Amino acid sequence: MCGIVGYFDKTGADHQPLGKVLLRMLHALACRGPDSAGVALFRFPQPHQLVARVKVGDHRGSASRILDVKAMGEKFGGREFTQQGDYLRFTLNDDGDLRSFVSSVESVAADVEVVSVGRRLEIVKQVGSPSRLEQSFGISGYQGGHGIGHTRLSTESVVDLSHSQPFWGHGYPDLAIVHNGHITNYHQLRRRYQQRGVRFYTENDSEVVAIFLADKLKRGITLRAALESMITELDGSFSCLVATDSALAFVKDSFSFKPLLYTETESFAAVATEEIAMRAAIPGDYVVREGRAKEVQIWQR
Amino acid sequence: MAEIDATGRSTREVNAAIRKSIAEGCTAITVLNPEARHNLAVAILNGVHVRIAGSAGYYCGGLGDGASIEVDGSAGWGLAESMLSGTVVVRGNAGSGAAAALRSGTVVVYGDAAARLGVSMKGGEVIVAGSCGYMAGFMAQKGTLIVCGDAGEAFADSMYATVCYVGGQIASLGTDAVLSSMESGEIEGLEATLSAHLPADLRRAKPAAADFKKVVAGRKLWNFDKREWRIWQEAL
Repeated sequence: MCGIVGYFDKTGADHQPLGKVLLRMLHALACRGPDSAGVALFRFPQPHQLVARVKVGDHRGSASRILDVKAMGEKFGGREFTQQGDYLRFTLNDDGDLRSFVSSVESVAADVEVVSVGRRLEIVKQVGSPSRLEQSFGISGYQGGHGIGHTRLSTESVVDLSHSQPFWGHGYPDLAIVHNGHITNYHQLRRRYQQRGVRFYTENDSEVVAIFLADKLKRGITLRAALESMITELDGSFSCLVATDSALAFVKDSFSFKPLLYTETESFAAVATEEIAMRAAIPGDYVVREGRAKEVQIWQR
Repeated sequence: MAEIDATGRSTREVNAAIRKSIAEGCTAITVLNPEARHNLAVAILNGVHVRIAGSAGYYCGGLGDGASIEVDGSAGWGLAESMLSGTVVVRGNAGSGAAAALRSGTVVVYGDAAARLGVSMKGGEVIVAGSCGYMAGFMAQKGTLIVCGDAGEAFADSMYATVCYVGGQIASLGTDAVLSSMESGEIEGLEATLSAHLPADLRRAKPAAADFKKVVAGRKLWNFDKREWRIWQEAL
């Protein structure tokens, strides 16, 4: 099961009630995945500034842990620290070495994880229902231009914050994915990346999709080519949504094993596992269709 | 004529309200605000007319026997799955597995159908005005499958005696699917079926019956001998 949703505003206005739309869509799909819920929101960027969201520990992190993470963040110019649930959120200048920032922050303790970094991207996820996500983080108040969301039914790996979706393309700013399905050559791919020194944070097969795409994009491959290569290089079932700072995209496996529906009007594009999510969140007259096997669609700003 | 507003009701309650209206002798029922919820109007066993005033989710009209169901919007997975008789018309698009295991009756889609259309159908007619996804007609046994637009890959794979007609391009034929020519009177029959089930303007926008390709089983798999390795090589 699992439910995935995506919304892309085409009017160019960043101040859309993005959080509200994604939350309503997730509510409608909550029964597809009661284990955890999360969103990746693409908000309005501040010039030359990145937003980091860091999981401070498996159990909210002690006061000293938070201070340690904060101190490490400050070494990289971190400021405007706020704590929310398991997360420490702060901003930093967009001119440093991202790789060394991530590894330094994560060196504080084994259960510290940089959940997302981006000029626009913020990933907010946790164990529990979409309603709980709203209670903890008030995501309905978030504005932005596009975003993706996920409700998880865990089938292979543990239920905790790190194993929840969306996944950040670790080390690549503003890249987030959600995945519905099962990657059957996951272990093979994982070994291949680990031999090259890539760190895996979870045992969730969906994580490899984020690592795969981050690797391709870092090599300068276009988003379209990267998504098309998923169809030949990843086995199993996948309906995936991918978001970057300027695009929302989806890709489906060769057999269309998992549902994925989309609609597009002059003012927006929306994607969801079931049409019920769109009808619950977006009023108006629009035609919904199911993505084809091997289909790739990109909405670009 | 009864109107059932689905807002604030569970699907079970909506379907119970449909049944109650039928029991009260109602012959035309409209479901308002369906909002693409699943399992609407399933297993209705008499000739009532049900209009879904919007989109339907999964399995709309499934297991029905005799009802006439109309969906104003799109339909999700498994439209009219295993229907025994009756008519289902979708004005929008249909999701994967539409008319799967159809036993009899008619399923009409004005838009496109997704993957696995009419797989294992055992009778009846499936008419898609638009295109369809891959593997339509897989292991279909009887009945007629008509696609006015393009058909996806592995079309009509491993069929028994279903007859298929395609107005557009076929991405690829499935195992043991072969093109065949229409017999005398068949073009007229196809035209009569299309004209009967599609609105006139939609029918006009589609290819003429004479231009449809006919696809049937090559019958090589009907008496399959597992020792014939060449067939295995072709099939896999």
